[in-house]
Amino acid sequence: MNFAASSAQAWEPLAASEWNRDAARHLLRRVGWTARLEEVERACDEGIDATLERCFPSEPAPLPKTEMIARFEADLPDLLGKIRTARGPAMREARREMRERAQAALQDFRLKWLQRAAEPAQAAFAKWTLFLSDVYVVSAEKVRSPDLLWRHHEILARHALGPAPVLTKAVSRSPAMVRYLDLDRSVAEAPNENFARELFELFVLGEGHYAEADIKEAARAFTGYRVQAATGEFRLVRQRQDAGRKTIFGRTGRFSGDDVIDLAYAQPAAATFLPGELARFYLSDRPLPAEMLPALGERWREQRFELRALALTFFRSRAFFAPENRGNFIKSPVQFYLGALQDLELEVIPLTRFTLNPLRQMGQQLFQPPNVRGWVGGRSWINSTTFAARRNLVQQLFAPLREETLNADDVRALAEARKAGRERFTVGDDWFERWSDQPADETVGGLAQRFLAAPLPPHASQVLVDFLERRTAGTARRDAVAALLQLPEYQLC
Amino acid sequence: MNNATSSWLPSTRREFLRTTTRGIGLLAFSRFAPSFLVESTLAATPAPEKDRTILVLVQLAGGNDGLNTVVPFADDGYRRLRPTLALPERDILRLNDTMGLHPACAELHALFQEGQLAVVQNVGYPNPNRSHFRSTEIWETASDSGEFLPTGWLGRFMDNACAGAPADGAPPAVHITRENPQSFLSAQEHATFGLNPDTQGRRGGESLRLLERMMQADAADPHENAGFLQHTMMNALVTERKVQQVLRGYKAGAPYPETAFAHSLQSVAALIAAGMSTRVYFVSLSGFDTHSNQLRQHANLLRTLSGGLAAFQQDLRAHGLDRQVTTMTFSEFGRRPGENESQGTDHGTAAPLFVLGSRVQGGLHGTAPSLQLERQQDLTFSTDFRQVYASLLDRWLECPAAAVLGRDYSALPLIG
Repeated sequence: MNFAASSAQAWEPLAASEWNRDAARHLLRRVGWTARLEEVERACDEGIDATLERCFPSEPAPLPKTEMIARFEADLPDLLGKIRTARGPAMREARREMRERAQAALQDFRLKWLQRAAEPAQAAFAKWTLFLSDVYVVSAEKVRSPDLLWRHHEILARHALGPAPVLTKAVSRSPAMVRYLDLDRSVAEAPNENFARELFELFVLGEGHYAEADIKEAARAFTGYRVQAATGEFRLVRQRQDAGRKTIFGRTGRFSGDDVIDLAYAQPAAATFLPGELARFYLSDRPLPAEMLPALGERWREQRFELRALALTFFRSRAFFAPENRGNFIKSPVQFYLGALQDLELEVIPLTRFTLNPLRQMGQQLFQPPNVRGWVGGRSWINSTTFAARRNLVQQLFAPLREETLNADDVRALAEARKAGRERFTVGDDWFERWSDQPADETVGGLAQRFLAAPLPPHASQVLVDFLERRTAGTARRDAVAALLQLPEYQLC
Repeated sequence: MNNATSSWLPSTRREFLRTTTRGIGLLAFSRFAPSFLVESTLAATPAPEKDRTILVLVQLAGGNDGLNTVVPFADDGYRRLRPTLALPERDILRLNDTMGLHPACAELHALFQEGQLAVVQNVGYPNPNRSHFRSTEIWETASDSGEFLPTGWLGRFMDNACAGAPADGAPPAVHITRENPQSFLSAQEHATFGLNPDTQGRRGGESLRLLERMMQADAADPHENAGFLQHTMMNALVTERKVQQVLRGYKAGAPYPETAFAHSLQSVAALIAAGMSTRVYFVSLSGFDTHSNQLRQHANLLRTLSGGLAAFQQDLRAHGLDRQVTTMTFSEFGRRPGENESQGTDHGTAAPLFVLGSRVQGGLHGTAPSLQLERQQDLTFSTDFRQVYASLLDRWLECPAAAVLGRDYSALPLIG
C-alpha cells in the first residue's frame, strides 16, 4: 500500500477487515513496550477502539508522588536553612547531605517510574508521558532537585491527554523548566531568550517557522517567572516583568507569556510540528513524506489540539498500520528493558545496579536526556558499546541472582519488594516448562512469533531448531531464548 | 611479536569457517561481514602498518590536584596555601630546583630522568568552568568555555580521515571505559569499540556461541534498520571475540600492578602488540574528586597511576613497540590552591599533565603557576590544553591540527 499517494486517506481509520493478530501486535508494540500473548488476544476480542480507549483513558491515573520525594520536600526548608547558616566544614557537610538526599530521591523516583511503567495496563500511558518528556525536555543534569523533576513529570502526566496549548502553558510554569531554560534569570531589562527560543523551535513550531525578532519579543513576555527556593513553587514577580507592547508574528499588544503561546499555536506550523514529533517517536526514524503531515495537522487543529484526539487518530490510522512501518523501528533502551521484562513475565528489580545502570550503559538515563533536543532515537541508540550493554542486560535477566554478593541495603530493598508481592526478577527454570513437550520447529516458530516483531531469518531459525533437536539438557531452551533476545531482530519493534 | 601480528586476521577467518554449521564459506555472507574478514580471505594478510603512531589517552576523572602532583615546593605560597596538605620537602622527587613529583610517583620520576616523561605545567583554558560534567565536555570536545560542540576532538580526528582507512578493518579507536567517551563523538560513523572494564574476560557461554552461529548468514539490506543492526552487531561480535582472544593469549613483557587501571593498560598493550591498526585508545582512572581527607586517597591514586603507566611503558619496550606509542594524561580541572577545612581541595582550574613515551621530548614544558594568591583564588593557566592537542595531532598523529581544532594553536616541542 502506498499510503503517501493518498495523504488524505492515510489518516483514515484502518479498515475493520485489516484488524487481526498481526495488526494488534504492531499496535501493542508501538503504543506500549511489547505484545504479550494475552494482550494480543484481548485486543483482538475487544477490537481496536476499545483497545485504544484502554491505552488512552479519558482519566488516566498518574504515578503517585513517591515517599522519598515527599520526605525530601518536607525536609527541604531544613536542609536549605543548614546550608545558609553553617560555616566552613559544617556547610560542606550540609551541602553534601543535600546532594545525597537529592540523588537518592531521584534514583528512587526513576525506579518507581520504571516499576509503574512495567505494568502492562500502564505501559501506553507511561510511554506517552515519556514521549512528552522528550519534547518538553528538562534534565537532571542541570535541575538537581528531585522535587522539581517530580512536579514537571506530574504536569506532563496531568495534561498528557488534554489540549496541547494548556500543556504548553503549564510547562512554561513548571519550576524545573523555569530553571532548566533560565527563565529564573530573565528580567525586563535583560530578557533571557533561552525559553522563548525552545518554545518555538522545540515545543510548538519547529525550526524555520519564526524569526529572531519573534524570539526577542517573546522573551520579554516571559520575564519575571521565578521559583521559590524553599517551596519549589512557581511564582510570577510583576516587578521583574516586561508589561510593554511586543510585536510577535506580526501582531502587536501587551502580550503575556500565555498570550505568546496562543499566538504560536495560531501559526500554521503548530498543526504539523507535534504530529511530526509523534511520528518520529512512535512510527519511523525516517521523516514522513512532507505531504502527509498537513492532513493530520488539519484534523488536529479542528480537534482544538486535543492530545488524546491526536493519539486516537494516529494509532488508528492506515498510515500507522502500513506494512512499511511494521517491525522496523529500533527500540529505545527503556522499551528494550521493559519489553524484555514483560516478554519474560518479570518485574523491575528494586536495585539501581541492575536497572538504572544498564539503562545508562544502553544510552538512556531517565529524566536526563543528553541535551535540550531530547534523545535522537533510531540508529543513534546503537553502537558496539550499547549493543554489548543490551546483551549484558539479557544475560543478567537469565542469570540467577547471587544474593550472597549483595550489600545490606540491596538485601533490604529486595526483602521489601518481596513483601509487597514482587519477586520474579530473573527467569526461573519453571518458565521454560511450557515448551518441553513441543517439537523443536514448533517451539522456534512460537518463540519467534512471541518475541520478535521482525521475521526470524531462515538460517537463524534453522540453527535454533538444530540446537534444540540435538540438545536435550534442561538448559537448552534457556540458552535458545537468551540467544533469541540478543538477536538484531529483537532490537526492533 | 611477528606471530602475534599475523595471527590477528587469519585466526578470525579460521574461527568463522570452523563455526559455520552448514559449511558455507565466509564469502557467502560477506556482503556485510566486517571488512577485515573479507579482505583476509580475498587477499594475503594485509601488512599492518607497523610505523603508525598510536595515542593513548588516560583520563584522571574527578579533577586531579595538580599542585600535589607536580609540586612547586620552593614556592612559599605552596606551604602558605596548604598548611596541612603540603607534602614534606624531603619526600618530594625533584624535577629541578623548584619543582618535584609527589612521592608516590617514583616510577614516573625514573621515566622523567630517562627523558621519556614530559611534564606540561599549568594547563587549562580561559574562563574555566568548575562543573565536572561541563569541564570534561570542554576538554573532550576541545571547545571554548562558552562554546558547545557536538563532536569530540578525537571524533573529528577520525572524521578528517586522519586515522587513515584501517587496513584490517580494526576499530579506529578503542575505549576501555563503561561509556563511550565524548572525545570519540564524531559527525561520521566510525566503528569504534568499547571494552567494558567490569566484564573484561567474561565469557558469554552457550548462548553467545549460539548467537554467533545464528548471525552467520542472511545479511539484510544495510539501508534498512534490520540490516544496519545485523551489520553493527556482527562487527561488534567479531571484534569482541577477537579482542577477548588477544587478551587471553597475551604475554605481558612486564609485571603489572594488581589494579583495574593497570589491567586496562595491559589490555591496551595486548591490542597494540596484536598489530591492530587502531590509532587511539582511551582509558580512565577515577576518584580524583578529593574534597576531604585527600592526602592518603590522592597518594593511592598517584601510586596506581605511576605504577600502571610505568608497567605499560616497560611492557611496550619489551615488545619493541615503545617508539610507536605516546601516552597522555588529562583531567577536567585542577583543584583549588588553598586547601579547604576538611583537609581536601575544591574544584579549581589549571593543572599539569603528563606526556609519556620513548619519542617524547622529556622534561618540564611551559611555566609553573604563580602562587601569589589569596586563599580562595584560583590558578591562571599558562598553556592552553588545545596547544597540547595541537602538538600531538601535528607532530605525533600527523594530522593537520587546525582541521580538528578549528584554528591554529602554537604547538609545544613535545615530540623529539
